[in-house]
Amino acid sequence: MGTVVTIDCFLEDAVDPDALDGAMDDAVKALHDADDVFSVWKPASPMSRVRGGALRLADAPDVVRDVLAACEAARTASGGWFDPWSLPGGVDPTGYVKGWAAQRAVASFADVGVLGAIVNAAGDVATLGQPGRGAPFRIGIVDPADPRRLACVATVDGGIATSGTYERGAHLVDPVRGVHRTAVASATVCGSDLGLADALATALAVGGDDVLARIEDLGGYEALTIGHDGVWANTSSFPFAAGVAR
Amino acid sequence: MSRAPWVIAGTVAGLAGLLAFHTTPVKVALAPLPTTTQPSSGGATTTTQPSSTPRSATGASANYYYGTMSVSVTVSGSRLTNVTIAALNDGGNSLSQSIDQAAIPQLEQQALAAQSAGIQGVSGASYTSAGFTQSLQSALSQLGL
Repeated sequence: MGTVVTIDCFLEDAVDPDALDGAMDDAVKALHDADDVFSVWKPASPMSRVRGGALRLADAPDVVRDVLAACEAARTASGGWFDPWSLPGGVDPTGYVKGWAAQRAVASFADVGVLGAIVNAAGDVATLGQPGRGAPFRIGIVDPADPRRLACVATVDGGIATSGTYERGAHLVDPVRGVHRTAVASATVCGSDLGLADALATALAVGGDDVLARIEDLGGYEALTIGHDGVWANTSSFPFAAGVAR
Repeated sequence: MSRAPWVIAGTVAGLAGLLAFHTTPVKVALAPLPTTTQPSSGGATTTTQPSSTPRSATGASANYYYGTMSVSVTVSGSRLTNVTIAALNDGGNSLSQSIDQAAIPQLEQQALAAQSAGIQGVSGASYTSAGFTQSLQSALSQLGL
């Protein structure tokens, strides 16, 4: 994948450095394990072998079936706009796995005494706790028209994922039309499950308003889109940070 | 009265993580997850580095959104302790005054933004990430990592 991931922890009091070191190692391992199992760029990964027909799904590690089941749920929730089975080469859960893996990694810090922790996998952000006492995480959302700038800031309790064409070119496939196409320049989804948020953001980038309406109805997830024309649309409770000029 | 939170900058590395205790946000050190094109992390030997004489290397120039950049990395043993942009060529773009700001990849962007807008991260991939990662991997290879 070549994904760059950062991990930051926030402390209020001193913690046992060995425990924290151990948690960091666990977080790193969780990310590498996810890559080893799911990377479609690694021919020997179970996911690659399932895609290629060399491994039966029933014989794959449990986590592969768990993730594909979650992808089915995401496909349903997104109205089919997120569809790993529609991708060329076979089922590809990458749009879910990056967020899922980041969230598993941040969970490593749950019992080592940190106030908060954040794992940012190239824009898929998983959080735990808070960065300061009584202060929620504040995450900037890149302006797709000028990636040097932030479009806005959101308060995040859980995870937040952004999908957009400006990342690495038109890598998103419209499962309905099967072509590289996005309805919007940037699509952000936040909620408690970062894997699902990641999948929904991918769906939102190609499905636009239809997916935005589904997320509004879903409950527990909020979304923001920024159009190619610069126009914004968002679900009714998208957590814009107060006091920040948009 | 609680003290100001200590911020720990952590890294994800193919080899090891780094923890640094500081009282203010620090420039985060980083490393990419291993890819199939990289000399396999399984090949990383278990030679123990004697302690931590810092070593640095600058990676090959790589393309990014506005031009080319190269990345320098400092390691202590097998742990990354610092990553910076060594050189930047924006092809004479008239926005060169702000190019340093523009070219800062995701991580440094996070650190700077955190200091200016009180945020802890940025969502939305950095357009520099591919070039930055390539040059960083080049630097790590020079260090035998």
